[in-house]
Amino acid sequence: MIDLNDIISTTEFNPLIYWIIALMAIPLLSFFTTTFLKKIAPIWGTLLLGVNLSISIYLASQYWDTTGVSIRGNWFSIGDTQLTYSFLIDQLALIMLVVVNFISVLVHFFSMEYMRHDENKPRYFGLLGLFTFSMLGIILFYDLLFIFIFWELVGLSSFLLIGFWFEKKSASLAANKAFIMNRIGDLGFITGLMILYSQFQTFDLEGIKSLTVLSSIEDGNWVAEYFKNGELVRNGLDGRWLSAAGIALFCGAVGKSAQFPLQVWLPDAMEGPTPVSALIHAATMVAAGVFMIARIFVILDAQALEVVAVVGAITAFMAAVAAFSQFDIKKVLAYSTISQLGYMVLAMGVGAYTAGLFHLVTHAMFKAGLFLSAGTIIHQLHQLEDKDINFDPQDMRVMGGLRKYMPVTFICFLICALALAGLPGFSGFLSKDAILLNTAVWIDEKGGGFYFIEVLAFATVLITAFYTFRMIFLVFTGDFRLPKLIPANTTLKPLQEGNIFLQLPMILLAIGSLSVIFGFTMKAENTWFYSLIQDPIFLVPESYAAFNLMDLPHEWFENLHFRVLAISIALALSGVVIAYFLFRPGAKFSASFVEQREPIGVIAQISFYHWYQNALYEKIILKFILWKVKRIAWFDRVILDGFINFIAKFQVVFAHLIAWFDRNIIDGFVHLTTYTTGRVGQLTRSVQSGNVQAYIMAALAFLILMLIWLLF
Amino acid sequence: MIENLLTYIIFTPLLGALVVLLLPQSKTSSFKWVALVALGVTLVLSVLAVTSFDATVEGLTNSEEQLQLVDKAEWFSVELGSLGKFSVDYFVGVDGLNLSLLLLAAIVLFIGAISSFGIKQKQKGYFGLYLLLSTSVLGCFVALDFFLFYLFFEFMLLPMYFLIGIWGGPKREYAAIKFFLYTLVGSILILIVMIGLYNSVYDPVKTGLEAGVIENVSEASPDMISSIQYAVQAGQMESENIVKSFNMISMADDANYLPDSFLGKNSYGEIFGQSARWIAFLALLIGFAIKLPAFPFHTWLPDAHVEAPTAVSVVLAGILLKIGGYGIIRTAFSFFPDSAFHYSWLIGFFGLFSILYGAMNALAQKDLKRLIAYSSVSHMGFVLLGLAAMTVEGVTGAIYQMFSHGLISSMLFLLVGVLYDRTHDRGIENYGGLASKMPKFTILITIAFFASLGLPGFSGFIAELMVFIGAFKSSTVIGAIPYWMPVVATLGLVLGAGYYLWTLQRMFFGKFWVKDKAWRETLVDLNAREYVMLVPLVILIIWFGIYPATLLDLINNSVEGFTQLLILSVE
Repeated sequence: MIDLNDIISTTEFNPLIYWIIALMAIPLLSFFTTTFLKKIAPIWGTLLLGVNLSISIYLASQYWDTTGVSIRGNWFSIGDTQLTYSFLIDQLALIMLVVVNFISVLVHFFSMEYMRHDENKPRYFGLLGLFTFSMLGIILFYDLLFIFIFWELVGLSSFLLIGFWFEKKSASLAANKAFIMNRIGDLGFITGLMILYSQFQTFDLEGIKSLTVLSSIEDGNWVAEYFKNGELVRNGLDGRWLSAAGIALFCGAVGKSAQFPLQVWLPDAMEGPTPVSALIHAATMVAAGVFMIARIFVILDAQALEVVAVVGAITAFMAAVAAFSQFDIKKVLAYSTISQLGYMVLAMGVGAYTAGLFHLVTHAMFKAGLFLSAGTIIHQLHQLEDKDINFDPQDMRVMGGLRKYMPVTFICFLICALALAGLPGFSGFLSKDAILLNTAVWIDEKGGGFYFIEVLAFATVLITAFYTFRMIFLVFTGDFRLPKLIPANTTLKPLQEGNIFLQLPMILLAIGSLSVIFGFTMKAENTWFYSLIQDPIFLVPESYAAFNLMDLPHEWFENLHFRVLAISIALALSGVVIAYFLFRPGAKFSASFVEQREPIGVIAQISFYHWYQNALYEKIILKFILWKVKRIAWFDRVILDGFINFIAKFQVVFAHLIAWFDRNIIDGFVHLTTYTTGRVGQLTRSVQSGNVQAYIMAALAFLILMLIWLLF
Repeated sequence: MIENLLTYIIFTPLLGALVVLLLPQSKTSSFKWVALVALGVTLVLSVLAVTSFDATVEGLTNSEEQLQLVDKAEWFSVELGSLGKFSVDYFVGVDGLNLSLLLLAAIVLFIGAISSFGIKQKQKGYFGLYLLLSTSVLGCFVALDFFLFYLFFEFMLLPMYFLIGIWGGPKREYAAIKFFLYTLVGSILILIVMIGLYNSVYDPVKTGLEAGVIENVSEASPDMISSIQYAVQAGQMESENIVKSFNMISMADDANYLPDSFLGKNSYGEIFGQSARWIAFLALLIGFAIKLPAFPFHTWLPDAHVEAPTAVSVVLAGILLKIGGYGIIRTAFSFFPDSAFHYSWLIGFFGLFSILYGAMNALAQKDLKRLIAYSSVSHMGFVLLGLAAMTVEGVTGAIYQMFSHGLISSMLFLLVGVLYDRTHDRGIENYGGLASKMPKFTILITIAFFASLGLPGFSGFIAELMVFIGAFKSSTVIGAIPYWMPVVATLGLVLGAGYYLWTLQRMFFGKFWVKDKAWRETLVDLNAREYVMLVPLVILIIWFGIYPATLLDLINNSVEGFTQLLILSVE
């Protein structure tokens, strides 16, 4: 039988560790140094990340064909339990490394222009470094505890970046919301860690996976049997804890990847600078949840995976609905991000590991592209503001016709949008198609009530295309609406295209959103991505394991593929058509459209307020908690402390009573005694008067009494 | 390696106190330097003690062999005729259970001395009392004779009472007397048990000497000791030869309880129909839980903190609370492991309740110092939960939590002190947007808040993680507390994030605004002295968060010895 200590033993020295250290140290260096480099901070930060990107590409080229290199060492021990750290450089890590560093560099570069006039830009670039450092930690470490550590640090950097403009109250509130929602999810993550640790006494993923394979279900108990330091260990938990572990860890992903019901933080997170939204809240951090699910994928059991799939589908649909009535361009993109993350999570839930990760990568590109394009628009519109002209540069209703002013931005935005809508020729099509196909096959096998997942997944395709093109029509076609909205006596500066700093990242990301990047094909499985990453096999005990998609007959996929393809393209196109009819260049908007605070109509309102989820949280749950804590504080102050004070006062009163008793009763008794004695003394003294006659009288009386007593 | 190192550590501050007393009142400015030097020497000696500690020594908590740096001498003894004799030792030593707390105490006392430089009135009395407090705190952590321990424990009250009562805030008298009475109630419970224990426990070595079985202490080999113990248990030892003892190490060994004694393991001693051992355990537990403090014995803490001057708050939160946790480990759990197991559910529950209750109270506070005081209640709940788990991870976590909370809460109270020095106001609602006015202060308080809410990378995270995994594992390994307790306890993390982030948002973010216009001038960023006390704490908090082996390697064996003792009693 396997000894745990052999699995998690320290590996031999491998020079790769230097590269890993460098990858993490460089962004950290950026964090620590930019504060001191006032003017050159942007260039310095960008350069450092450039170095990191080069290292990532170098490593990718070196280790592309290997099966994964792991490096492990000891961290600390508790009693006889050794806790370790470990890195795994496999294809997944390499792809993520390149993607994260690539987008990080582009965002740094973009920010050099975007943040040019912000006096706090050293802090900004430092925080971008901190974020990149934490994100790389999640990718490189192959140990759940370390993933959790960097997971939380990612949460911290996100908190600091959302609240970057902390003087705005809404920004710091949004930062708090993001951190706390993530924390709620992390309770699950910690619970998952507790369950796995109590079974396996290690957080090392290699160790957990190896021991999960060996674990078994006996009489409904999940039993793990292995040697540790040469002694047999036999840990048992109720079998339900196996599912619970998976679901609990998934809760972490629900927080970080903004899934239902914790997704409310992501739209608010748009308070941060737009490049930050592109990097953190679209491409990388929010994808960390999906990446984490991928890392623990094989130890998820059937029940946990069902939960994952259902949550993913619900999230995808709800957020897509929320996106179609927003006025704020970043809000649309935020809801769209949630929706796409829902797709990735759904993919994981149905067991389509590779498809989910593929969508993660394509989405990272096109969504970062969309955010940076939107950032360019916002930045350029912001230039038009002055003391007389005030407007919200993120509101799509002030835009319109921007195609003429900003053609490059338009083309980049359009390419990324087509990828988002999932139209052939663009990367999003390949990955979304793969997810839909796998979902369809999974549901055919699963049957039963799971059909609603399929319905939600396909409905989302339609809505996605609709809101994407609503955005394009509102922003880029028709007439520029802003000049009509400003006071009559003011004149507007001309709107210009962004400069090279803004354009270059957009262009690169737009290129990355073309499907040719991944191969000349209409099928995801023919791309190079699929040749690198395959679906793994579940390792949990058989009675709990989900079926592997790859075990299903290949014809099922073949048969369904065309249908799925046709339906999804048809849905996407109809979404575009509906958007065209409602928001086409010549469409008449009602006069109030540009001024109203919220859209009209029940469905539009449900969409605008995201199913009133925020209202539920803020108006009811949060209020209830604040009311409750006030009651508890009242209890503490008035009842508990009051009780103590009462006892103290009672003591004092009691002491006074005792004192009174002492003074009046005890002392009184003593006084009485002395008084009585005194009186008696006086009485007897009066007898001893020294008068002989009296003595004789007394003696006589006594004699007579004696005689009487003797005689009778 | 210095002989009698621990004795020097304990009494150096006392020497300092004497110097302060002897210096004329006119040399006002020298008192603080005397205190600083005395505590600096103590700190250096404590670090020396830690570095000379041999981490490879193994042994159960009830064996004297595993102790290190021992100083032991008979203090006094009393002949009781046919009842034998009782003896009290001057007995100090360290093992993994108190080593980290000794170090913590030395660090916090030193930093507290720096922060006391701001004290302007009655400096002679202040520094004299502060040094006196230092001696009793340090003594409390290393004393291994219950009598000696109790002496130090009680003696702490005196300087503390005056430090709060004279140099405190507006309601200082109320707070001081509340603190005093609360602790005194705890002390009485402890005293009662101490008397019961002394009636039940004998010292095998001294009994051997008295009976003439051995000639001197060096002959007391483990075999010899166990044969003496056997003789006593079998009733073969003359009762006038039996030497009763306050030795805390002996008290943790069942073989050292007299046969049929009141608190012996197999005795029939009963109080109200309950085993006397259970009652004695509860009395010790409550006695120290007041100090910890755990719900419902915590209400003295917010008042004492709010009224105490900064340095005293720092010592109070940083060290004094830990004496509660340490006392539970060293006395209640060590002496009565079987009772500890019997009540583990209850202890775990009160730990859990303190975590949530403290955090919810913190969420409702309007005074920054009260908020931090309640967060201490919450964090000390982890200590109880970890101990109740009775697993290596849980106990290690509890000790680590005490160490880590000592550093983090010291930093938090120092930071509140920084603000209070400038405005004499701690109302959360009286400030806004301090980040733009005091950026460096904001950075440090953000670090402290995140450290306290358990962000990885800081020491608190490691401690809480160990408590969680230890508590969850408990059910599988020993069955002390159920699975749901640690799972529910994780809610404390969200509440912690809630009150800290809300405070950050209200006080530090947003537009700069203060209630009183005059504060605009007085609110200046950190000065050099404040950096000197805060930056080392930041470094320590991060160091122990990233490389916990520094401490854990030293205490692992002792903690294993301790949990082994607990497990043996259950089997």
